[in-house]
Amino acid sequence: MAMILEKLPGLTKGLPGGELLLTTSDYFIDLGRKQSMWPMTFGLACCAIEMMASYASRLDFDRMGVIPRASPRQADVMIVAGTVCKKMAEPILEIYHQMPEPRFVISMGSCANCGGPYYDSYSVLKGVDRIVPVDVYIAGCPPRPEALQYAVVKLQEKIAKMSLKKGLATPQQEKGSRDINA
Amino acid sequence: MTNEDIFAKIQSRFPKVEKAAVQVKDYLTVRLSSKDELVPFAQWLKDSSFDMLETVTATDLLGPVDMKGFIRQQNFNPFLPEGATPQIEAAATAGYPYRPVMDLLYVFFSVSERARVFVRLEIAREGVSVPSLVPLFKSADWQERETFDLLGVRYDGHPNLIKILTPDFTVGHPLRKDYAHIKDRFDE
Repeated sequence: MAMILEKLPGLTKGLPGGELLLTTSDYFIDLGRKQSMWPMTFGLACCAIEMMASYASRLDFDRMGVIPRASPRQADVMIVAGTVCKKMAEPILEIYHQMPEPRFVISMGSCANCGGPYYDSYSVLKGVDRIVPVDVYIAGCPPRPEALQYAVVKLQEKIAKMSLKKGLATPQQEKGSRDINA
Repeated sequence: MTNEDIFAKIQSRFPKVEKAAVQVKDYLTVRLSSKDELVPFAQWLKDSSFDMLETVTATDLLGPVDMKGFIRQQNFNPFLPEGATPQIEAAATAGYPYRPVMDLLYVFFSVSERARVFVRLEIAREGVSVPSLVPLFKSADWQERETFDLLGVRYDGHPNLIKILTPDFTVGHPLRKDYAHIKDRFDE
């Protein structure tokens, strides 16, 4: 007997004894990935305060499987929360390469998206997407914690589209993350 | 010890030192007449209980210059109605005495007297150096490096006058009024 399960929690109950379960490997791997997005704590400026608020008990990021890690070796997603100075650009790149693949980047707030109010400054990088590929951009100065959690939901939707056959890249990652129609 | 007492003591020892026209808050603010006075004055302050150097900084008093480098559009306003001409703000404040000088500021604090003395000193902007206070006050080290890095003030006798804040690829001193940004590898 072969069954392909795409709606896992609903159908597990109906299986005889719950001993055998068949599903696609893509679905199963993506399910594990998207339900345990461990971000690296990476607060650069005031957006980090909102990031800390979303980790705390009132908004409870933990219910989505988001547990902050202090080491890039244990992290899946890097939340770039705040202004990226040019002096900080190289450490960000170094930390990004220390993260195990597949790795994702959330650009949080106007500064990390495009420079924000420091667009005319001599010392600020005009968007973190100039050095690392960004999966989700959050608008706001700073964004509310709900917006950060919504970004994680959108990233989970992206991860659900990943497939082993396509080399682990989402359609957006293949076509470039700024192509919103991908 | 009131401000008047401190100033009377300063006057008896350094008659050339005068009160600045603008006082910083309610602290005594004095202005030195030349840079040769700086080290003896700081030495005397250190000996007379003002033994803590709190701040070393400077102000560039050159008037507004042409906006070069990063400012793409002056007074950019995306909410202007169609066809309206943008109002260009006057870059200079009318009546302000802009002049090509660097206005140095030193803040001395007396722990025992609980009093502060703000010391101002004007030097020419280009190619002029002032004596360093590092032999007298260790706290001047990094603050003089910062003032050098951002404003280009040279401190004679500083043991290690190199950049402290800006990255190595930043050319020039960014807080000078005539700073023009040279594009680096992180700009487009």
